[in-house]
Amino acid sequence: MTGYILSRLGQAFLVLWGAFTVTYLILYLLPGDPLSIMLGASGIQPGSLSPQQLDVLRAQYGLDQGVVAHYFSLLGGYLQGDFGRSLADNDPIRQLLFARAAPSLELAGSAVVLSVLAGCGFAYAVSLVTWRPLRQALTRLPALGLSTPVFWTGLLLIQIFAFDLGWFPATGNDGIQSLILPAVTLAIPSGATFAQVLLRSFGDVWREPFIVTALAKGLSRGQVQARHVLRNALLPVFTLIGLQIGNLVFEAVLVETVFARVGVGRLAQEAVLRQDMPVVLAIVTLAAAIFVVINLIVDLLYPVFDPRITRTPRVT
Amino acid sequence: MNCRKHSWFKYICIAALAFAPLVLTACHRKASADDNTLRIAFAGDNTTLVSLDPFQVYWIEHRVVLRNVVESLTDQNPDTGEIIPWLAKTWQISPDGLQYIFTLRDDVTFSDGEKFNAQAVKIAFDSDEAETVKNPGVFGATYLSGYAHADVIDDQHVRIVLSRPNAAFLQATSTTNLAILAPASYALTAQQRSRGAIVGTGPFILQSYVPAVGLTLIKRKGYAWPSKAVTNPGEAHIDKILVSYVPEQYVRDGAFVQGSIDIVWPRLPFSDTESGLLKSHGATIYSRSLPGPAYNLFPNTSAGRLLADPAVRLALQKSIDRPGYAATIYDAQFPVVESVLDRTTPYFKSEKQNLAYDPHGAAQLLDAAGWKLGQDGYRYKNGRALALEEVAQAQSPGDELLQDQLRKVGIALKITVVVPGTYVSDIIHGNYDLIGSYLTRGDPAVLQSFLDPRFALQAKLALDAYDPADLAEAEQLFDAGLITTDTNKRAAAYGQLQDLLIKEGVAFPIYERIWQVAVAKNVQGFTWTDEGFASFNDIEIKR
Repeated sequence: MTGYILSRLGQAFLVLWGAFTVTYLILYLLPGDPLSIMLGASGIQPGSLSPQQLDVLRAQYGLDQGVVAHYFSLLGGYLQGDFGRSLADNDPIRQLLFARAAPSLELAGSAVVLSVLAGCGFAYAVSLVTWRPLRQALTRLPALGLSTPVFWTGLLLIQIFAFDLGWFPATGNDGIQSLILPAVTLAIPSGATFAQVLLRSFGDVWREPFIVTALAKGLSRGQVQARHVLRNALLPVFTLIGLQIGNLVFEAVLVETVFARVGVGRLAQEAVLRQDMPVVLAIVTLAAAIFVVINLIVDLLYPVFDPRITRTPRVT
Repeated sequence: MNCRKHSWFKYICIAALAFAPLVLTACHRKASADDNTLRIAFAGDNTTLVSLDPFQVYWIEHRVVLRNVVESLTDQNPDTGEIIPWLAKTWQISPDGLQYIFTLRDDVTFSDGEKFNAQAVKIAFDSDEAETVKNPGVFGATYLSGYAHADVIDDQHVRIVLSRPNAAFLQATSTTNLAILAPASYALTAQQRSRGAIVGTGPFILQSYVPAVGLTLIKRKGYAWPSKAVTNPGEAHIDKILVSYVPEQYVRDGAFVQGSIDIVWPRLPFSDTESGLLKSHGATIYSRSLPGPAYNLFPNTSAGRLLADPAVRLALQKSIDRPGYAATIYDAQFPVVESVLDRTTPYFKSEKQNLAYDPHGAAQLLDAAGWKLGQDGYRYKNGRALALEEVAQAQSPGDELLQDQLRKVGIALKITVVVPGTYVSDIIHGNYDLIGSYLTRGDPAVLQSFLDPRFALQAKLALDAYDPADLAEAEQLFDAGLITTDTNKRAAAYGQLQDLLIKEGVAFPIYERIWQVAVAKNVQGFTWTDEGFASFNDIEIKR
């Protein structure tokens, strides 16, 4: 087991390093002069500077070291938890991320919980429906949730619940009231995915021979579903939770903009627009880190939920 | 069975734990705004230059806020553009225009308790000057152009000495850019000031600023020294101002309709439908032409570019249907742009004759220059298409209308939308034919900030806008406009300059820059300052 965990940790670090490196290459090696982009991002007009001043600034941004040296000095900083400074405001990026991460975690965390509860609850209820036409119709419903763009859902929810009914504020980061609409908006596509997968997986498990046995023992349909079907059908959903985290990051950009919330999503958007390369690099790496960690946890939890999946040392 | 109950209990516990953050955030909920709070929604914060430091700020939304926090030696009458007393009661300008003696009010204090006096003024100007040395491209640099030093004569008198004439200097002393901050603010770094460490003498105090989110102003107790442009002589009527940045137009307007925002203040004028919606919910719409340049496109005339040919530039000037633009993109009442400058700018000269829509004249010019109409309706010369590239940060219906107008004379307009970072590097590398830019200031000297290569924020853009033959003359006229405080002579210089910029195709005015706000019906006393900002001191909320 320890060996397995160690190898998974090693893989996780490899993925992180890969994400960091590829992002670095894209940001710093694409055509265009990194110095003029960086100066533009920090609001300095390169035309107004003398060659000596430009040299000083080049050294300040670490661009005088050459690509490889700069890459390793950045990587070294990351390993020590130092992400460098933002070009636009010269703030340490760690501090920027810290300030923006809390609202984003609130949003993403509640969206994940909501989507799992709603998605699985929906699938659970639908599979208990015995009248076939209704079940067929309900089974098609998640596809709708999945194919609706989040910004449109967001605007619709704002119109109904903020402007018409006045239950929730339309915008802001002001406590739980302002969290509900964006969390619901963000949860709909993921929830729909969970519902779709779980419904499918319920269907498969219901056709397993041990279900017949259970029914033959005299258990009701509901009892069979709760005790035998659910546990067996849940596994694919766990895998999906890990994968959905990736989607949440880019959907948060839209949701945070529509609801005028601050968060990492908005920060990413701002950083990309002003070509604040160190911030973009840090956000991509952070997103990759979250993705890797969640998937690692999911992988390690498999044996807990399905004892058939256990890691035993290879017999040699 | 017992075991199964336990497992359900476990799931409930997990669910409860998962919801804990939600419950916790509920406890953090702040009290909602009380009745005497004004809530303003702007479209966005400046993400390129994150700064509230008055000397650096060009972002007009910030200048609206700063106008109420920091004050200046003089003010500008919004109706006439005339310079009127504020923190300085009177002033004298030496005949050579190089010495300004200001007599200061003696009843003014900064919000940190410090007294406002001649020493504070000297510190402010010296610190601003030091900033221009460190950062030559800083926006305030042209305002301070020619500044040599300041002498404290006594507590109430300060002499400011210029090394070369700068006729726009008196107007500059009325702007937020040359506002006088408390000496303590200048002891901090520009970075700290950028983040809101600003102490002024204004009717409001900047309590907090969170970039891209918003800011909070609170009433300054004991305030009693507004300029004559303001009606309320004492403390503000409102206790608090909450400014938020709401990027989505629909959400901004919805919040106004719902009543959770009192003033909607986007960067671009309201469309017909938008103002209809807001008005139907009791909004009053206030408009003002922003002084300074209109919205212009500037050409890239460097060698090899299509607009290097004066005939093509002149044809382009004639191909733009400006009345059609104003009426189509905005409405029939929208003013039609008539010069490089907006009409609220001092020394504005109408160039209506030179900006007339004349597609036939344009076609003749192009024919004569060898640009013949091809099969597809566009013009070609030696196999090269007459296709201009406009670099913009967002595509607007206006750009598309312009595209359509130019198509009628056979000019293709290609609009390339880029992010701000690329926009800057495109300017540096000259990768454009046309590019739009503007700044706001109640004096034509603002043109130097982007059309005079010696002072421009984007020196390359300024340089590339001129045919080399015209540059010397333009620089001469810029200097002539600043060398004398005689209004007739200034008017003559800026009149000739506007002629030159239009006739030689250095600038292509597109539309008058109107700034609009929608104000809720229970909010009274909204007034514009000369530069198109607002004085919140006069605002009252009747709930």
